[in-house]
Amino acid sequence: MSQVELSVIVPVGERGGRILELYSTYRDAVAKTGFRYELIFVIDGLYREITQGFKDVKAGGEPITIINFSRSFGEATAISAGFQHAQGDLIMTLPAYEQIVSDRIPELIAACQDPQTDMVIASRHRQDHWFNRFQARAFNQILKYFADFPFTDMGCGVRVFRRQVLHEVEIYGDLHRFLPLLARQQGFSIREVQVAQAPSDMFFRLFRPGLYLRRALDLLIAVFLSKFNKRPLRFFGLLGAGATTVGLLGLLVLVFQRLVLSQPLADRPALLLCALLLVLGVQLIAIGLVGETIIFTHAREIKEYKIREIIN
Amino acid sequence: MPHTGQENPPDLSVIVPLFNEEDNVRPLYEALSRVMQDQGLHYELVFVDDGSRDRTFANARDIALQDRRLRVIQFRRNYGQTPAMAAGIDHVRGRILITMDGDLQNDPADIPKLLQKIEDGYDIAVGWRMKRKEKFLTRRLPSMVANRIIGWVTGVPIRDNGCSLKAYRASIIKQVPLYSEMHRFIPAVSSVAGPQIVEVGVNDRKRLHGHSKYGLSRIYKVILDLITIKTLLNLIRHPMRLFGGSAGIAMALALLILFLETHTALSTGAFSLMQMSMALLFATLGIFLIFLGALCELIYRTGNFKLDDLSLLTATVDGVVPELAIDRPGDQSDDCASGPTSMGFCKDKAAL
Repeated sequence: MSQVELSVIVPVGERGGRILELYSTYRDAVAKTGFRYELIFVIDGLYREITQGFKDVKAGGEPITIINFSRSFGEATAISAGFQHAQGDLIMTLPAYEQIVSDRIPELIAACQDPQTDMVIASRHRQDHWFNRFQARAFNQILKYFADFPFTDMGCGVRVFRRQVLHEVEIYGDLHRFLPLLARQQGFSIREVQVAQAPSDMFFRLFRPGLYLRRALDLLIAVFLSKFNKRPLRFFGLLGAGATTVGLLGLLVLVFQRLVLSQPLADRPALLLCALLLVLGVQLIAIGLVGETIIFTHAREIKEYKIREIIN
Repeated sequence: MPHTGQENPPDLSVIVPLFNEEDNVRPLYEALSRVMQDQGLHYELVFVDDGSRDRTFANARDIALQDRRLRVIQFRRNYGQTPAMAAGIDHVRGRILITMDGDLQNDPADIPKLLQKIEDGYDIAVGWRMKRKEKFLTRRLPSMVANRIIGWVTGVPIRDNGCSLKAYRASIIKQVPLYSEMHRFIPAVSSVAGPQIVEVGVNDRKRLHGHSKYGLSRIYKVILDLITIKTLLNLIRHPMRLFGGSAGIAMALALLILFLETHTALSTGAFSLMQMSMALLFATLGIFLIFLGALCELIYRTGNFKLDDLSLLTATVDGVVPELAIDRPGDQSDDCASGPTSMGFCKDKAAL
């Protein structure tokens, strides 16, 4: 078999019902680039019809690899598993549902040919329901503001990158969404390309409340990882010092009122609030210190920098 | 680190972090090479390009292709001065390391002075810019205040922490955790190893090319880092002491409230819910802190920063420290009576 140049990884999860129809579209778009390619479908869970469908496709002589998980492990794990089997130097991830118009796929791959670019991410020019646009925009704006991440569409799964990127960036859980953010932290250069949104992607979605909570936690982790990675005390210390100060000042006021103005102290909930703030502050600072200890005692293993080249 | 092509390791490595210094690369290289060759040293230069956006890397590469004694490390992006120094330290092979700024504000001619101090038995020689060429109010005064505070808090009173020109015994500096913006505190952090530190007056020159990358805004970060490092150093030495101490205070507070409350309750006949819950709250905090202290012990045990290793680095065995004398062709200077290849020389204990 000839050397594969481009590996396309498609994680197939709960939204992957139409993947078999989409397969030929993706294949044709990728084939247009002229690269020797392979398609890797990672089926994340038990979807018997899809697995059977792909087996039939493979039996027809198509260059695909099917990885079938025994249960759902999540999209990030699916991408990692696909990467384990990928042979190409260039990796592309595509969602199992159409997010962008597929004729733009060759253009994205071509953009990643530039030696100065390590990763190309697609950004949908969104035309769907205002509510979906609004929540996506809010999500990306938060990232932009708190994590200094300038790109505009973290929800788009269409990404092309060099093999090296996934070699160095570990993704797990829901972190696949933040792959560009984590890659940028490792010093990879990223380019964003505006593409039109696929018509089938423009429908109104309302997610379960639990999903919003998960996204919020994701955001918190992303911001923490990008800003306070090496100095946890800067994050925890600031919050902790704030809480401690407010608590202490409150306690002082209460004690002053008790001693000088002779207001009784025993039945004031404010007393408990201040004490709680004080305790919370001390706990936050202590946790930050534990974090600093972890970094300090492991600093010689965790390299902060990434080297592109060494001469001599 | 693989360093093919050179059979025996150099005595001395000079580490220079560079960030957008395209015009300074060649003058720096030439000045350094001149000093090294005048001294007849077996040396290497390590230039770390910290993600410059100008021709810094290209210029350095052109020189490195002609001189194998220059090693160039290019970062993928800009990480800052401390990671650049850490990368240099990780990739050198010399037994003595010199770090300096890439903007030619440090004078390479001062290197022999620092080197002599290391050969004299000091573990760290710190440059001290005696006549600074910067504005008094915005640069020198804040830095004087900052140095005083740093010295007072860390217990390592160095007059000029901001001067990058420093010399180290490689075995020590390679053990010191170095990340974030810690380069300013290297002497303080390495103080856990108990090194002999000496200050050496050096020249301060005006910048010729490029522009300065520092401003007043760093002061608050320096102070925050300082508190962190001070606490960390105490914590690493005795994890249980810091956490146990805080836990003790919380517990004492809880007991005090409990005692006062019981006292009042005996006379009035009723406990106050509010004050009882305060007592319980502080007691909980105390227990929480004790367990965090235990967690820190665990982290320290699994980490690779071990004070035991450091203690041996600066220890003398039978009054002798590891050999650091440098071979200079045709040079017989030696501080001790023993020859340059024998084990050790007298350790000067009159540091600082």
